[in-house]
Amino acid sequence: MLVVFAVVVAVHGRWLLSRSGWPDRSPRLGILAWQALTFSIFVSVVLAGVALAVPEVPISADLAALLSACTAAVRTQYATPGGAALSVTGGMLAVSVMARVGYCLVAGLVTSRRQRRRQLEALTLAPRGHEDRDALVVNHSAPAAYCLPGRRKQIVVTTAAVAALDDDQLAAVLAHERAHLHGRHDLVLVASDTLRRAFPRVRAFRDAHLATARLVEMLADDVAARRSDRLTIATALVRLAEASAPPAALGAGGSTSLARVRRLVAPAHPLGVTGSALTVLAAAALLATPVAVVAAPAAVASAADLCPISFPGQSPS
Amino acid sequence: MRQMGQLESVVMQRLWAYGRPVAVREVLEDLRKDRALAYTTVMTVMDNLRRKGFLTRELVGRAYQYVPVQSREEHNAAVMGEVLAGSSDRATTLMRFVEQMPLEEVAQLRQVLASRAPNRKGRRR
Repeated sequence: MLVVFAVVVAVHGRWLLSRSGWPDRSPRLGILAWQALTFSIFVSVVLAGVALAVPEVPISADLAALLSACTAAVRTQYATPGGAALSVTGGMLAVSVMARVGYCLVAGLVTSRRQRRRQLEALTLAPRGHEDRDALVVNHSAPAAYCLPGRRKQIVVTTAAVAALDDDQLAAVLAHERAHLHGRHDLVLVASDTLRRAFPRVRAFRDAHLATARLVEMLADDVAARRSDRLTIATALVRLAEASAPPAALGAGGSTSLARVRRLVAPAHPLGVTGSALTVLAAAALLATPVAVVAAPAAVASAADLCPISFPGQSPS
Repeated sequence: MRQMGQLESVVMQRLWAYGRPVAVREVLEDLRKDRALAYTTVMTVMDNLRRKGFLTRELVGRAYQYVPVQSREEHNAAVMGEVLAGSSDRATTLMRFVEQMPLEEVAQLRQVLASRAPNRKGRRR
């Protein structure tokens, strides 16, 4: 039941979302859609395990006596033909999935923190081009502009990057990086990256991370476009790309930059009210379904009036 | 904290400039020409740099002599090298404005831009 749902979402949901072009139009909604998709899969699997485990969860003798009728009712609702073996497996599944994700999350956060701190330390010592309010300008012959998110937000640009851009373009780049920092885009990337590293073979998680990274860039472009204009940002992108020589031999396909420039030279075309509403509803449905499916048998049991728990909409009696 | 970072930077620049191992006393005398500093302050700063791995030291006579682990060029290259290497793992550590790409893609980018804004060139400063 839930496992089937998870598989369907993982396979068909991913396929659908990968092919659709609408996320590029409204990156924020696109990010929401991908997050809802992956989170829904994760939650479904965990809750499936939990649901299977319910019949066998050991409860203390006193509590069991107190709720004996209720416990029995709930257990029968969740019982499956598999019996105890299936329940134990289900419980282990839920626990191991959560443990795996938890581990990847913590490990990822620790590594990122350490790398950022190291970068900042080293940057402090590197010779400065000149002072700027927001950005650290570092003396270097290769152009680079990036930000270090986290607790100590910092934008970094090299002197080569500053030389390659005019004032407007540089301002646009800084606005873009600032958008990343203030919008805490790193958090959303941590979420998608954690799932991807926890279960690398699930295609939905891989695609979600790539899509989220891409959409986050487009979102920052949109925010920067409020202060600047789309064409300036696009030009800045191209100028910096040109100035980077020699280009790396590695050619990652499906370049984000190309998509961004194409998108920026065309006028903005965000999703309308209907589209946005539909997306939010779909995301909510994706997230609510596993919870509803798991809670349903408990609701049925409580409706039998044997349980001292009530669900919203039921009159306690 | 910010001042500490500033001072660490100044001390590191000097160490790179000297090009030879120096003791805390010498650095102190040098810096004292421009600012008021205590021996302990400079000692702490240099020890911090040593703990962070930027300096190494050797006992010569009764005092330690400090020397940078990497030359200034090596340090700079290392700092930027990580960023420019552009591994996808870095995406969560830092976020670049534009990623590394092959020449063909740069040409494509230029084409897309030219198609929309043919007379727009970057005004060099």
